[in-house]
Amino acid sequence: MMAGSALRRLMAEYKQLTVNPPEGIIAGPINEDNFFEWEAFITGPEGTCFEGGIFPAKLVFPPDYPLSPPKMQFLCEMFHPNIYADGRVCISILHAPGDDPMGYETSAERWSPVQSVEKILLSVVSMLAEPNDESGANVDAAKMWREDREQFNKIAEEIVRKTLDLPPP
Amino acid sequence: MPGTLVDRLPLPNLKVYTAGSVLLLSIAVYHATIVTSDPNWRANITLQRQEALAEPDGEAQLVDQAEVMPALNLNATRNLNERMVVIITFMMQEPLCMWTLINIAYCFLAVFGFLIQRVVFGQLRVSEAQRVKDKFWNYVFYKFIFIFGVINVQYMDEVMLWCSWFTLVGFLHLMGQLCKDRFEYLASSPNTARWVHVRLVGLLLGILAASTALLGVAVAWGLPAGKDTFAFMAAECLLVLMSVLHVGARYVLQQRGADAAGALAYYTHLGFDSASLVLELMHVVHMVVYSNMLVSMASLVLLMQLRHLLHELQARLRRHRLYTSLADHMSRNYPMASKEEVEKNQDNCAICWEPMKEARKLPCSHLFHNSCLCQWVQQDASCPTCRRGLAHGAPPPPPPTPPHNHLFHFDGSRYVSWLPSFSVEVTRARPSAAQLDAMVAQVLGMFPQADPAALRADLLLTRSAHLTLDNILEGRLQPPAEAPTVRPISPLEAPPAPEPAPPAPEPAPPAAEPGLDNLDVGSTSAIFSRNAPEREQNLRRRKEMLVAAARRRYLERRGEAAPPRS
Repeated sequence: MMAGSALRRLMAEYKQLTVNPPEGIIAGPINEDNFFEWEAFITGPEGTCFEGGIFPAKLVFPPDYPLSPPKMQFLCEMFHPNIYADGRVCISILHAPGDDPMGYETSAERWSPVQSVEKILLSVVSMLAEPNDESGANVDAAKMWREDREQFNKIAEEIVRKTLDLPPP
Repeated sequence: MPGTLVDRLPLPNLKVYTAGSVLLLSIAVYHATIVTSDPNWRANITLQRQEALAEPDGEAQLVDQAEVMPALNLNATRNLNERMVVIITFMMQEPLCMWTLINIAYCFLAVFGFLIQRVVFGQLRVSEAQRVKDKFWNYVFYKFIFIFGVINVQYMDEVMLWCSWFTLVGFLHLMGQLCKDRFEYLASSPNTARWVHVRLVGLLLGILAASTALLGVAVAWGLPAGKDTFAFMAAECLLVLMSVLHVGARYVLQQRGADAAGALAYYTHLGFDSASLVLELMHVVHMVVYSNMLVSMASLVLLMQLRHLLHELQARLRRHRLYTSLADHMSRNYPMASKEEVEKNQDNCAICWEPMKEARKLPCSHLFHNSCLCQWVQQDASCPTCRRGLAHGAPPPPPPTPPHNHLFHFDGSRYVSWLPSFSVEVTRARPSAAQLDAMVAQVLGMFPQADPAALRADLLLTRSAHLTLDNILEGRLQPPAEAPTVRPISPLEAPPAPEPAPPAPEPAPPAAEPGLDNLDVGSTSAIFSRNAPEREQNLRRRKEMLVAAARRRYLERRGEAAPPRS
């Protein structure tokens, strides 16, 4: 019922992201037969342990986008406190206003139709730089991030090399 | 699901089935030719039949027909036509041949359906195929119940008639379902060739015509057979008609470019949805009443279906009430923006990103399309941009629905004694002004230095003094929302002060792939092409460039040589 307006909005976002992309970010539908599934590539933020990596992720939009947020899942191996083992991203901007069972987030941080793919991806970049260890999607990573930063950095380095298709050092 | 069980059965594919059916038919025709070439065949058959008649058998009608047939003089000149008529007549009378004829009819229908699928839909998508399969078995299941449970047919002929009727209607149902699924899919894909739509519309018109014709059949044959029969037949046709018309209406609405949420579109959907639900409901009630059976498997199934339908209808009406009361609430409390305001506002609607000719203005002075806002507010009663609660500060008559608790109570025993009863409470409560004041006072008691306005705003969000206290303790207290507090959570302010990270100007590294080295990582912007394959190709190319550039920079920074390309 809503697919038409969702489609128009996604097309507008795709155009904007193509013509005027934020640095180090690419996103768009890989196969336009399904415009509701995008692939995104984000560059690991400089000065962090993920620096230089290119991380591919899948974005799946609901038919009532932008009323509901898309889902995001990394397609490469990831080790990060806010990313589940299967790659799903746990970040407040991707949570619909209704669902916050834990009461962690104020609704100001959550999804609203004025958000966009670009804002999501920028948030994810900043999440890579600064994990939020309150919401532990990956408990091991959260623990290591707190207690053994050196080891964490090493694992991140390996992941970065993998995303660049480079052999381990 | 009956479907999963059937999946495991070794069903032949269409080719094998068609070949088998054609083979059977040719055997039957051959048999008929042999038998009828005997000049005395009619006499023989009649003799057999009369013997058979001695036993009580349900084929009296057929025998009558056979006897009524004018005795053909087979010694007369036999032209081909006559011969064919004879063979067909024979086949109609002979039960085995009759079955092969029925079989071939089904085979034709299957091939026909397959052709339509090929021409109009092409390869079915997995979800479409699954949906059709589910719907098919569901349909077969309910019609079986109908034939043997509800109308309780006694004679084979009657079963055959109903079966062929349901085959045709079911065929149309499935095609309609496919059209609907495909339409939804097309509506969500930006680049479809015009002829795809033309074919789909053609099929829709075909189904429309066919179901009207079936309705005619129901009038012509069903009506003389009794009002009940007619009602059963007509309901089926009307359901198909309704679903096809709904898809058609959606097509028209889409072509007219009407905003999917506009009032016209909304009421069209509401009308079709509730009309078909009501119709189906009446159909099932009619079946229950007609069959007049209280404890049987069939009644159980029908009542379950009835419950499901009622439930859906209730849910639809509840959604509608929510919608109207929201629309009402908005139009009462938030006036449309004046012409000057809309003109002064250069921005597009922040929800759909399309320009605004008319807009509704919220108290926080953010403008949105009325329909966009209506849809959002159904989910969350706040301004999408600044998150200011819309229920807050409303004039004395409190806004009716969004902040209400919905208590949905299903009393199963009202329908049948064994149905369960349950209640679901949907809480969307916002604290009332008095509660809010009390909570603010409570928190202020512990943190006298806190800003009451900020507390109030935070309490509106958390709805709990406890959570707000946590927020204060952890320094997450939101400042009162004056300016739009959309937080794109800019990443660039977030990373810790970067260590000397050289931006890697281009010293033309030796390892760079040819053709890519003149490209900067940041400038992966591209022209937005008008056609899809080109866009897809551009996207892939930009991705490759991004990865190549990142790899190059990475190696440079580490002072490593590029690994040999595999």
